[in-house]
Amino acid sequence: MAEFGTLCLFLALAASAWAVIASYNGWRAGLGELVLTAERAVYATWGLVVLAVLSLEYCIFTDRFDLEYVASYSNRALPKIYKITALWGGQAGSLLFWEFILITYASLIVLTNRRRNRSLMPLVVTTLLGVSTFFLGLVNFLARPFVGLAFAPQDGNGLNPQLQNPFMAIHPPCLYLGYVGLTLPFAFAIAALATGRLDDTWFRTTRRWTILSWFFLGTGILLGGWWAYVELGWGGYWAWDPVENASLIPWLTCTAFLHSVMIEERKKMLRVWNLSLVIMSFLLAILGTFITRSGVISSVHSFTKSNVGPVFAGFLGFSLLVSVGLLLHRLPDLKSEHRLDSFVSRESTFLFNNLLLVGAAFAVLWGTLFPILSEAVRGVKITVGPPFFNEVMIPIAFALVTLAGICPVIAWRRASPRKLLEKIQIPFWALLGGAAALLLFGVRDVYAIVSFSLATFVIATTAMEFYWGARARQRVTGQGFGASLLGLVDRNKRRYGGFVVHLGFILILIGVTGSSAFKQEATASLKRGDSFAVGRYRMVFQDMVSDDNPNREFMGARLAIFDGDRPAGTLVPGQNFYKAGQNPSTEVDIRYTLRDDLYLILTGFDPQEGRATLKAYLNPLVNWIWIGGGVLILGAWFAMLPDIRDRRRDAEARLREVQSRAA
Amino acid sequence: MAQPISRKVVITVGLLVAGFAVLFSVGLKGSLVYYLTVSEFMDPARKTDLGDNFRVNGIVQPGSIQKSQGAPGARFILTDGAKSLPVVYRKEVPDTFVDGAEAVVEGSLGADGTFDAVTLLAKCPSKYEAQNRQTNNYKKPAGRDRPTVPTDTGSPSR
Repeated sequence: MAEFGTLCLFLALAASAWAVIASYNGWRAGLGELVLTAERAVYATWGLVVLAVLSLEYCIFTDRFDLEYVASYSNRALPKIYKITALWGGQAGSLLFWEFILITYASLIVLTNRRRNRSLMPLVVTTLLGVSTFFLGLVNFLARPFVGLAFAPQDGNGLNPQLQNPFMAIHPPCLYLGYVGLTLPFAFAIAALATGRLDDTWFRTTRRWTILSWFFLGTGILLGGWWAYVELGWGGYWAWDPVENASLIPWLTCTAFLHSVMIEERKKMLRVWNLSLVIMSFLLAILGTFITRSGVISSVHSFTKSNVGPVFAGFLGFSLLVSVGLLLHRLPDLKSEHRLDSFVSRESTFLFNNLLLVGAAFAVLWGTLFPILSEAVRGVKITVGPPFFNEVMIPIAFALVTLAGICPVIAWRRASPRKLLEKIQIPFWALLGGAAALLLFGVRDVYAIVSFSLATFVIATTAMEFYWGARARQRVTGQGFGASLLGLVDRNKRRYGGFVVHLGFILILIGVTGSSAFKQEATASLKRGDSFAVGRYRMVFQDMVSDDNPNREFMGARLAIFDGDRPAGTLVPGQNFYKAGQNPSTEVDIRYTLRDDLYLILTGFDPQEGRATLKAYLNPLVNWIWIGGGVLILGAWFAMLPDIRDRRRDAEARLREVQSRAA
Repeated sequence: MAQPISRKVVITVGLLVAGFAVLFSVGLKGSLVYYLTVSEFMDPARKTDLGDNFRVNGIVQPGSIQKSQGAPGARFILTDGAKSLPVVYRKEVPDTFVDGAEAVVEGSLGADGTFDAVTLLAKCPSKYEAQNRQTNNYKKPAGRDRPTVPTDTGSPSR
């Protein structure tokens, strides 16, 4: 099966390379048939990559420990679900997985555009399959999943215990669907630049794909935080780690794009900027994959030692050169057709939102790459700690939230300052009221006060937007308020979906603020019957419990929990010992409430003395982060649903294409 | 009409960029830390211009871990084969902190010559990669043989 997999990968590389050559030359020479063979080669590549993925899974499921990959990331007793996820447990497999997602996306693009966008498609295929050829090159020559060992061990090393967690089964695919999806708008942007067809086709065609990638990337980031929270056992969810940052940076530029593209739709402005954002997002996604897979930043002096490092750097450089070259070449055709009408307008809030988001992306990128840059310039690695990120990002986040609050009440084109002040009055009082209430309840943390009162402000302006919109519609249609609200939202899915996304963010902001400003912790070493307390909770150590299965052995401390005087169940924080790798794995136990989480860790146990060492965290409001994530998902999906207006626009575009072909 | 708008935009953008620059320099000031190997850290000529805090990378010397009793934390020796550094860490150790793991500590050198770590990151040695290395080139001096960075986690453990 391993030989078959190797063969499939090699053939896939050939098919992918053929698609690049054929579609490019077919476009240059205007040979429709050559382009058609290229599109068929895309499907062929997809089939071959699927076969390669299946062969690797087959090798994992049949315990082929003579393969390095299987021996390193699986073992006999590994549960079936984690044998599936072992596919992306290591470098070679995850690069193959990347390629699998990319070629699946590419096939879907080819399939859905077989009668549309015919002038753009050859170069879209060239770009997508160019990226695919690069990744197939990697798995064929540099990071080979089917490489054998000199000996065949009895059992495998097993998947890293920290990856044996349901979150880890969905977090990487989610992140990858996001990263890889950013290739799609990039491919259309490149095709638009190369062909000179710079109208709105490229971003309208990929609008849903872009929102989808943005949505997966964001969900992946949140799931990663959630995973870190329940699995890593340090009580937090985000640490400005290079791997986390790597996923945040393209997400920030993509968020900027989703906003600024609306300006291009309405006013044909910011065209170079939008193309640049799409190109940047793609390059940053590749950079993110590279940082995640190579460990280039986390280890000292590793850049030259990583085998995929220089190749990735070369690919990034090449993509950057091509993109910038094309962009400069088309610069004269990309003049804005309009100007900003007024400084006080929704357009300008979008403009500043974009500057802030790109500034934030740059700050995170700078802090993340600083070790590499300092090593290149001064020969010594200097790392940038979390304080930098916090100090830069908190003010930027506050500014962004303020804009999100002003945005719904400010008019397009030209807003009258007096009307704006009028509309902002109630939310402004809400803001002041919120701040006063917080002070009254004894909150003295400045960041927390600013954050919570800004949150009130945004919630107020957004709620007013829904309310006034529904009232206006009620006057026109004569329907009831509820029906008008539904009708309003249904007719304008992107806009109101977007506002729901904003509200999701506000909930996340509330959760992040609460859990960072008001966190409490306590440590104790307890004998049976002893207790310790954190915040409103008291924990009584009852006894040790254990559990055994072929994959792992569990030992935990059972604690009775009291909320004040009321019993609140038991928690069993403990440790898992995975038999294959002989590694211990901390299993925290958490009491989740909307108000706060009680988070318990068993840090040590002394059997002779019967003494357990425990650590407890009280994390206020932390669950609002995940709830906000849920709201965000709903909003994003809603924004992706087709609108009546969209359908009309699509029909018009198709009509135009038919007419131009007939002419 | 267009002129004053663009001037206002330019001014605001200028203010934003200036704000960024201030945030950047203030934020960077206290956050920069040298990242060194054990040997580089123990070199008396090491740079000290960024303060007393350092990040040091090495291997947890097998058999050197002494877990504290009744409190979280551990004492251990961090080595790169050439030099060894005693380290004390007073918080819960991550699961991946085991004999032979690659570890990164951040903190400062105490008066008694023990490194007082405030953060500890550790990565498990990958069993088969290590065995492969041993069978392929076991003559290599162990000191310069940095373990391959395991690439199997989405995030590092802490």
